[in-house]
Amino acid sequence: MQRHVSLYGLTFSLPLLIWQLLFFVFPLAFLVALSFWTVKNFAMRPDFDTVNWVTMFSRPVFWQAYGTTFALAGGAALLTSVLAFPCSYAIAFKLSDTARRWAVFLMVIPFFTSYLVRVYSWQIFLSDNGIFNVMLGWIGLGPFGMLNTVGATMVGYLTLSFPLVVLLQLFSLVFIDRTLIEAAHNMRCGRLRTVFEVVIPSARVGLTIAALFCFILTFGDFVSPVYLGGGDPTTLSILITDTTKSGQQWPRAAVIALTMIATLLVVAFLAVRFAYKGRSK
Amino acid sequence: MSQISGQELNRNRVVDWALMVYIVLAYAFVFAPIAASFVFSFNSDRFPSIPLGDFSLEWYRAVAADPLVWQGLTNTLVIGVVVGVVSTALGFGAAYTDYRYKFMGKQVYLALALLPPTIPVIILGLAMLAYLSRIDLSGRAISVIISHVVVCAPFAMAIIRLRLSQMDPALEPAAWNLGASEWATMRHVIIPFTKPAIFGALFITMAVSFDEFAVAWFVSGLNETLPVKVLGFLQGQVSPRINAIGTFVFVTSMTLVILAQILLSGRTAAPRSSTVDKE
Amino acid sequence: MQRDTLVSFEGVVKRFGTFVAVQKMDFEIRKGEFLAIMGSSGCGKTTTLRMLAGLEAPSEGTIRLSGKPINHLPTWERDTPMVWQSLALFPFLNVRENVEFALKMRGVGKAERRRRAEQWLDRMQILEFAERNIAQLSGGQRQRVALARSLVVEPEILLLDEPLSALDAALKVRMQAVLKNLQRETGITFVYVTHSQSEAFSMADRVVIMSRGRIEQIGSPQEIYGAPRTRFVADFLGSSNIFTGPVTATSGQGLEISTKDGPVRLAGPVAAMPGQGAEATITVLDTKTHLSVARPEGDVNVLPVRVIGEEFIGATATIYAETDSGHEIKVQKSHDELASLPISAGQPLFAWWSPSDSHHVGAA
Repeated sequence: MQRHVSLYGLTFSLPLLIWQLLFFVFPLAFLVALSFWTVKNFAMRPDFDTVNWVTMFSRPVFWQAYGTTFALAGGAALLTSVLAFPCSYAIAFKLSDTARRWAVFLMVIPFFTSYLVRVYSWQIFLSDNGIFNVMLGWIGLGPFGMLNTVGATMVGYLTLSFPLVVLLQLFSLVFIDRTLIEAAHNMRCGRLRTVFEVVIPSARVGLTIAALFCFILTFGDFVSPVYLGGGDPTTLSILITDTTKSGQQWPRAAVIALTMIATLLVVAFLAVRFAYKGRSK
Repeated sequence: MSQISGQELNRNRVVDWALMVYIVLAYAFVFAPIAASFVFSFNSDRFPSIPLGDFSLEWYRAVAADPLVWQGLTNTLVIGVVVGVVSTALGFGAAYTDYRYKFMGKQVYLALALLPPTIPVIILGLAMLAYLSRIDLSGRAISVIISHVVVCAPFAMAIIRLRLSQMDPALEPAAWNLGASEWATMRHVIIPFTKPAIFGALFITMAVSFDEFAVAWFVSGLNETLPVKVLGFLQGQVSPRINAIGTFVFVTSMTLVILAQILLSGRTAAPRSSTVDKE
Repeated sequence: MQRDTLVSFEGVVKRFGTFVAVQKMDFEIRKGEFLAIMGSSGCGKTTTLRMLAGLEAPSEGTIRLSGKPINHLPTWERDTPMVWQSLALFPFLNVRENVEFALKMRGVGKAERRRRAEQWLDRMQILEFAERNIAQLSGGQRQRVALARSLVVEPEILLLDEPLSALDAALKVRMQAVLKNLQRETGITFVYVTHSQSEAFSMADRVVIMSRGRIEQIGSPQEIYGAPRTRFVADFLGSSNIFTGPVTATSGQGLEISTKDGPVRLAGPVAAMPGQGAEATITVLDTKTHLSVARPEGDVNVLPVRVIGEEFIGATATIYAETDSGHEIKVQKSHDELASLPISAGQPLFAWWSPSDSHHVGAA
């Protein structure tokens, strides 16, 4: 009797379904249609023309931006994972329960606080007269041009994804059976070796998913490459904003957006496959 | 979990110490921009750096004197509250649906309920702008609300679903069994039980909406929200006024997130059961 | 239908997809009885209870309460309160509010609600905890709250789904007494689902034993213990030695079957006498089976066995032995009775019992 469709059940399930169909699925579907529209005299016309795809895909600028974005996001995923791991590891295995709860509590906060303002604040540290250069000046170094570099972009990417990556890594690490680690020690597996032979393989799913989320976040981000990286090299996200905000080239922007979604889907698929490889789910 | 003596034995002080330092550095990195924004919002210097200048409230005064900032703030707050309420309501419905029902296509339903935040905001922004202007809904406050709910509802769904999974599965049928109809059970059992999560979700979704700028920037037109205003500042000028706004933004969203976390970490010692089979 | 029938199951079937949880069930629950439904997990006992409570709808057949079919009455329109295995107390309500819940749902006024709730709390001896949170109560106190919450509407029938399974042994026995007294005093029909033989046999007037969605036997604890009707019941109770083989002789005074270890006889009347050559099963209680070093004389069943080991349970011990063909025989005795026997693994002994202690159960 609980499986019949009832007014009661629909009252709770339908609103979200309708909302996400209307305002999530349809917009994305419309984006697909839009990518086949044509633009004449700064006005868009419904059409079915592959001209936008052909134009975008034949531009070296597009492929350069694609390569740059992919490399940056991939680099960020790797760098963030590597930098986050000792932190997650220490929180998971070296802190008391209370301290661990506080650590999680604190790490959740930045995840939900304005990324934009946090990125802006990094300019205070990284600019030519910023805190870092002043400090380096005290020991007779610099000034270095730190802002508007790929390094600064990476700092922004870390700002964006570090808290989430730590939380996801932590989540997989705390579920590792401690006796596995003791068993490894017992069999004369050294401390560092245990991390590589036991801890990382046991937490592979979580570590991979964390890296995947970092990739997804940074692949689509335009704040760091613009305000810390100085807009050079151009990423796909910058290309989208430029294409959208200048003139009526929305169909071309749609082509970029769809290419990005396709890329993310493939990467996500491969990452999940890798994460669960050789495991029965 | 109590420390096992074997672990104690196998510890290395130097390694432990180094890891503790690493944790401190990691948190320093994460909180440095927030702290800097706070400190320099009270600093008189035109160009924020060290050594610090004098204590000053001039940037706050400048911000407070800007009618555009007030307008942005009003927009942000109104939109944040509406988005919070709507997304929490939708998220609650979806969480309850997932908890209670099995049906064909549930996977698809759950994908719709959870996926939106993984789509890059820039793409969502573009899709929203194109779609909403097509159906004549762009450039208004409602456009921002619509788009934000798409992104926020999944957070509410996840938070409330987690709370429902902590509920003894016999609780709801027990209420029916005692004479409460489905609606009465919803009112007297499900909602009271999930109340902390409902408010937690409300605060979190408000915080997400409050901080979201990219989609808002695309679809808002003249109804700019505060973060979009910040984006405008960033493009125009470098001014410590952003620090004043930023500090305000941080304090607001941190308050919301901290409140939410306190609500969500409250433990109820509900007797748990894993045995009652609900087919 | 008998006059004192409260509930009847008529050809009730419950399927979950292709899985048949309950098959063709016909039985009656009498007014004012303490009925236990017993079986191992997945036997359909909880499903049966949930159908009676209105939490599952039967796929076929009719369930009647006081003669009226209730198949399609939702649970909130039936007066069939249940005590849950997890107790399912509302953690956000205090003790009194938990007990008042059912009355509130029935639109009973505030003052009346309070009065009746406190009356039941008093009866369950937990009135002093009325304003406490559930989390502050001990296991036994929660148990009493759960009972009060279900009984406050003064129903004709109370359903209990393994409510004692989470308690420790001493508290369990204490609560069994509470339940039994409560049932006797109120005259409310109790339907008690459990997998525990000791709970069922110590409280119930009648016991229903279920296996794979089917009723194996219904009867008083004594009837079932003394004379398991099917091989499954004998196995499930675990207190009998079981022998199966073709019938070699029958008479008005009993029957004999042939097993790999020799003939096994039964002396006494047999209800459904199997034909010559048919498979038959004979059981004997482990307490009625004896062991000796020398071959016993007289008119008894005798099987040579070797000791496997022994198990101590309080004042008694169970000796496990096996015949030459590997058939397991168990014998339960007090320690005194065993003192004279040499019990070590491999020790050859004779197991024997009187044919008048044998029982015949339906084949297979």
